[in-house]
Amino acid sequence: MHMQVEETTVEPVRLFRINTGSCNGCDVELAVTSAVTEFDVEQLGCRYTEDATEADVLLITGPLTVKARDEVLRLYAETPRDRITVAVGVCPVSGGVFRDSYAVDGPIERYLPVDVNVPGCPPRPQALLAGIGEALQIRQARRAGVEPVGRADGKGQEGDNFPARCRLSFDASVCVDCRMCRHVCAAGAIRFQEVEGGVRLTLWHNSCVFCGLCSHYCPTGALSVTGDWRLDHPAADAFAQVERGDIPYAPCSGCGEPIVPAAPQLLHTAFRRPTPEIDKLTALCPACRQVMSIGAPGR
Amino acid sequence: MTTKIIELGPHQLALEEPMYFRVQLEGDRVADLDVLPGQVHRGMEHLVMRRNLYQNITLLERLCSLCSNSHPSTFCAAVEEVAGIAIPPRAEYLRAVADEIKRIASHLFCCAVQANAIGEIPLFRRVMEVREIMQRAKEAIYGNRMDLAANVIGGVRYDLPPEAIAYLYQAMEDMKKPLDELYLQFANNPALMARMAWVGVLPSEAAVECAVVGPVARACGIDYDVRKKSPYGAYDRLDFEVAMQTAGDVRARNLVRLAEARQSVSLIEQCLAQLPAGPLCVDTLPEIPAGEAIAKSEAPRGELMYYLRTDGSDFPVRLKWRVPSYMNWDALKVMLKGEPVANIPLIVNSIDPCIACTDR
Ligand code: SF4
Ligand code: SF4
Repeated sequence: MHMQVEETTVEPVRLFRINTGSCNGCDVELAVTSAVTEFDVEQLGCRYTEDATEADVLLITGPLTVKARDEVLRLYAETPRDRITVAVGVCPVSGGVFRDSYAVDGPIERYLPVDVNVPGCPPRPQALLAGIGEALQIRQARRAGVEPVGRADGKGQEGDNFPARCRLSFDASVCVDCRMCRHVCAAGAIRFQEVEGGVRLTLWHNSCVFCGLCSHYCPTGALSVTGDWRLDHPAADAFAQVERGDIPYAPCSGCGEPIVPAAPQLLHTAFRRPTPEIDKLTALCPACRQVMSIGAPGR
Repeated sequence: MTTKIIELGPHQLALEEPMYFRVQLEGDRVADLDVLPGQVHRGMEHLVMRRNLYQNITLLERLCSLCSNSHPSTFCAAVEEVAGIAIPPRAEYLRAVADEIKRIASHLFCCAVQANAIGEIPLFRRVMEVREIMQRAKEAIYGNRMDLAANVIGGVRYDLPPEAIAYLYQAMEDMKKPLDELYLQFANNPALMARMAWVGVLPSEAAVECAVVGPVARACGIDYDVRKKSPYGAYDRLDFEVAMQTAGDVRARNLVRLAEARQSVSLIEQCLAQLPAGPLCVDTLPEIPAGEAIAKSEAPRGELMYYLRTDGSDFPVRLKWRVPSYMNWDALKVMLKGEPVANIPLIVNSIDPCIACTDR
């Protein structure tokens, strides 16, 4: 009983927002967390302030443009030393779709330390609240002088009512290494790498904007969009937030060269009814396939 | 009278975006103002040339999140024009549905922010709650509450199965009464009238001179809506009136927006009722030859123009925009002249300025 009385008289935690040059998506969704009851930060004991000197938790949006930098750093310098900093959306962490521009000076960590990342583009309000919640835990732990624990529940949280477009998932067993996904990805989130015995795909959730274009153009369904939106994490773990899979090489059944065999899904896309003859093509390298289908090229 | 110069930024103006102004005051009245742009300059013209046509669909959707669907759909229209692609009729309707859903959400956000700017907090929350119906619909149908990822070159990449159609019909039904109520409130509520009527007036001659577009123009009696003037996509088969007001003040701009939001509800219903069967997209990877094209659309803030030049490769050679806020924020000088300082946040928000679009 006594505890409860104390809790209700406790000062709200103040949130301060800095827009470093965002597309305004993250900012508009943050406005929702001050206006819509279902997502109100009040439920976490927070409220927004327009005064930087009051910031207990600092929410940063946008990729940090060259032009905004001085103003951002000036505001940051006004915030109290013990504020917890949250990078909202992928922009501050990686630049998101705006990476590699002369006008973008991020990642923000080049200039100031970040405590929590909330991937998404923009993150849904549920994810924003989860990220702010994580910041509050860190704040409490620091005040108590203990090490903050990571968030309790791991992955999961499949999209409640809605099939929200969230974390991408990769199934290496059906990937044919065509690299169409990387070709269409505006955020540069997908990387292919030669590894021992195969090819590795790595997709970084701190760059991915959940647009789903990779999965739209993937011919075999190796990349798919999931409803898993709970991706907030301590900023120190930023580079561990990846989806990864190795596509193993197999020797070409003609010449023995290592190749990525075509997945059955690809055959079904290309041929309505694959025959055993067609099936054989999947284990051949392009040169052997040509020989088998049209004979040796005449010179 | 004393002359003073002050600088105002997003934290004083209740803006979501970092827009800064240098305001010259005579006493407590605005004499002149300069917009200090560039904070959201992300080098888009440079970026689009370093991304191929597919990547640009996703990049351009993030040029600005409030009109996020207008950008990729207009960009795709320009690419399709270059390639001589006619998108399937079903895709035309589905693009219109996506655009109109975004229009409702964008207009309501603008009205909400203004209510906030004049301290009408319950109204701010009410408008945002009504807007949530659209936010939920966006997430349910497209998977994200801001960026719909609806467009691809040659059509769309989402469909409306029968359950989704039923869901959207219901969402539209749920919007009607609140939108009608909000219209009446913004039109007649004495407290709102006191703050918004005859405030931030843009006379129609000045409107023509500044070449304003969108609701800012239509609130001054300028009958210009791209959906009517040069119909694109499905709009020539849809029935609607251009929403108009004549007073040119803050109130008139909001009445145009609320009338348009209500009209968008009807447009979406018409789309659902007429939705033709057929494919969503032409060939998934069409050839894009060398060429140039201009595409226009009516974004929530007004006429949006894209100029595209291609050279037969995957990368655009040039992509240029004319965004509606550019002309509209020029008109702020006229609207603000002689207004008390206290009205600045309201008037600035009444043009629904999009800094992300304009700074690029
Ligand atoms: S993360 Fe996405 S939604 Fe957020 S500001 Fe960046 S581009 Fe916009
Ligand atoms: S969803 Fe795919 S294409 Fe889109 S940003 Fe993420 S990895 Fe790239």
